[in-house]
Amino acid sequence: MNLRKDSGALKWTLIIIGELFLALFLILPLVFIVRTSLEKGLAVYFKSITDQYAVKAAFLTIKATIWAVVVNTIFGVCAAWCITKFAFHGKKILSTFIDLPVTVSPIIAGLIYVLTFGRQSFLFPLLDRWDIEIIFATPGIILATIFVTFPFISRELIPVLTAQGTDEEEAAALMGAKTWTIFRTVTLPHIKWALLYGVVLCTARAMGEFGAVSVLSGHLRGKTNTLPLYIELLYQGYDFTGAFAASSLLVVLTIIILILRVWLEGRGNKDADIRK
Amino acid sequence: MTVNANYLELRHIEKRFGDFHVSKDVNLSIPKGRLVALLGSSGSGKTTILRMIAGLETPDSGEIVIDGKVVNDVPGSERGIGFVFQSYALFRYLTVYDNIAFGLRLKKASKSEIDDRVHELLKLINCEGLEKRFPSQLSGGQRQRVAFARALAPNPQILLLDEPFAAIDAKVRLELRTWLRRMITQLGITSVFVTHDQDEAIEVADDVVVTNAGRVEQTGTPRELYVNPKTPFVAQFIGNTAPIDNYDKFQFFDSVGPETRAIIRPEFVSVSKKGENRQFVKSAEEGVVEDVVFRGSSLEIKVRVHDVVISGVRSVNDPIIEIGETVDVFIYRLIIVDGEKIVLQENKSLRKESVVI
Repeated sequence: MNLRKDSGALKWTLIIIGELFLALFLILPLVFIVRTSLEKGLAVYFKSITDQYAVKAAFLTIKATIWAVVVNTIFGVCAAWCITKFAFHGKKILSTFIDLPVTVSPIIAGLIYVLTFGRQSFLFPLLDRWDIEIIFATPGIILATIFVTFPFISRELIPVLTAQGTDEEEAAALMGAKTWTIFRTVTLPHIKWALLYGVVLCTARAMGEFGAVSVLSGHLRGKTNTLPLYIELLYQGYDFTGAFAASSLLVVLTIIILILRVWLEGRGNKDADIRK
Repeated sequence: MTVNANYLELRHIEKRFGDFHVSKDVNLSIPKGRLVALLGSSGSGKTTILRMIAGLETPDSGEIVIDGKVVNDVPGSERGIGFVFQSYALFRYLTVYDNIAFGLRLKKASKSEIDDRVHELLKLINCEGLEKRFPSQLSGGQRQRVAFARALAPNPQILLLDEPFAAIDAKVRLELRTWLRRMITQLGITSVFVTHDQDEAIEVADDVVVTNAGRVEQTGTPRELYVNPKTPFVAQFIGNTAPIDNYDKFQFFDSVGPETRAIIRPEFVSVSKKGENRQFVKSAEEGVVEDVVFRGSSLEIKVRVHDVVISGVRSVNDPIIEIGETVDVFIYRLIIVDGEKIVLQENKSLRKESVVI
């Protein structure tokens, strides 16, 4: 109990360590990004971020992100729902596989798709005949983004659904409610905030994805370059202002998402208080 | 006997969860309008029986019959059943009104019908004015009553309740028991509830089904189970029992066999002070009081007789007995367990003196 009252020294030491760490590893680099991107004046900055390749890269990133979020929302809800509400064989395996993308290095994730859909794959003749381009094209980038972000939504939902139990669903079913009605009136209101939170995390991760996308993209400027890849390209070409200006775009997107996250958490907690 | 005599029947029900044999040849017959308790300790398979009746579990073999029809393949929602969950399972994102109206809306009842029914039920459960609340804004007792109303709303033929009082604190529980019994009797709905609390079963139910390790041990009115237990388990489970191994040490009781033991209940034992004028004093045995426990409405006296400690009940109005006092102990009867058989043995001196009474 003395721990709370008397150890002012310990408290302040911890606070200072925490804040210093944040300042050094987070705030300082952010400030540096802004400073470098504005080094040559606002005009150059705006020219850099309105560069046609930068804009195309930004749009590709947003496109891949939207795809990843939509696909993973559908998949995540289905997976979380079936893992928590039904007993079946292979449940453990499914649950483990969902976590796989987090543990596998993104580079390997990219390579997996190159091997699956690339020239050496047995699928390639089929894809070639139907004119389906996956590798070094937008579908590949979307696939890679989906892969790396795929546990984010289901992992948010599973604990919430587990805590809820199956009683309410059973009660609704016994009164004759169909699956969709049960989902809409019982399950969805309960997972709403967790789902939105998962979507936010998924979006953040999808926008920043580099490794897997890098392997699959082929780095075609204006075609298959996402924002992170574009930044790397500029950086390799010693265009620091351009690279940092494009980075600032990503930073802005990230900050928007962070604010959303904080707001969602607050709303979710408030809601949970009322309806425990 | 009409078909309706047994409104709900289970015939030779078997159920396994993996290696766990939860229901072993379960047979049940419940007449229309009866209030039946499934009583057993946890793991005895009582909740599984209830869930199978509701269609939430499917038996591996055997038949579930409701109103003369085998309903094994009929989904739970079409069996005419209302189910009250142990956790109540109220829809937490719906108001009390919407909770109760849920089943009626699914049945496509008209707006005015729903409104009438919900208000009728709210009145019945004494929760008028709470219709706009959410479940989290209700007390435990109110939640239970709303769950009850929600189950009753679509006019089910059978009401199933899983441990209906388990989540409520002791004082409210007693009130709710009486309330529930009155409600169900008033509505005349065939009801089955699961409980592990024998007081609850005995007090609330018309009939009690005692389950143990997946089997039905005995079915009967609370009184039958109490006075006439058919299996050692029931004899031991019902009432406040204590075992006695060498019961032949007591006078006026005969040993039935070498491998037998006796079960005794405090009500079988009369403890009286030396010189207190009581019946059967002559055939009483002497004992020394080890402990006196105040039970509120009565006193439990623990007495050592023939090196066995047995409990007896005394009224609070009787003369006070102190610890260490030598007293007269008279045992009216014992339940003798002989393997799987049960024999009730009366004190022999009762037979002689019964003429006098």
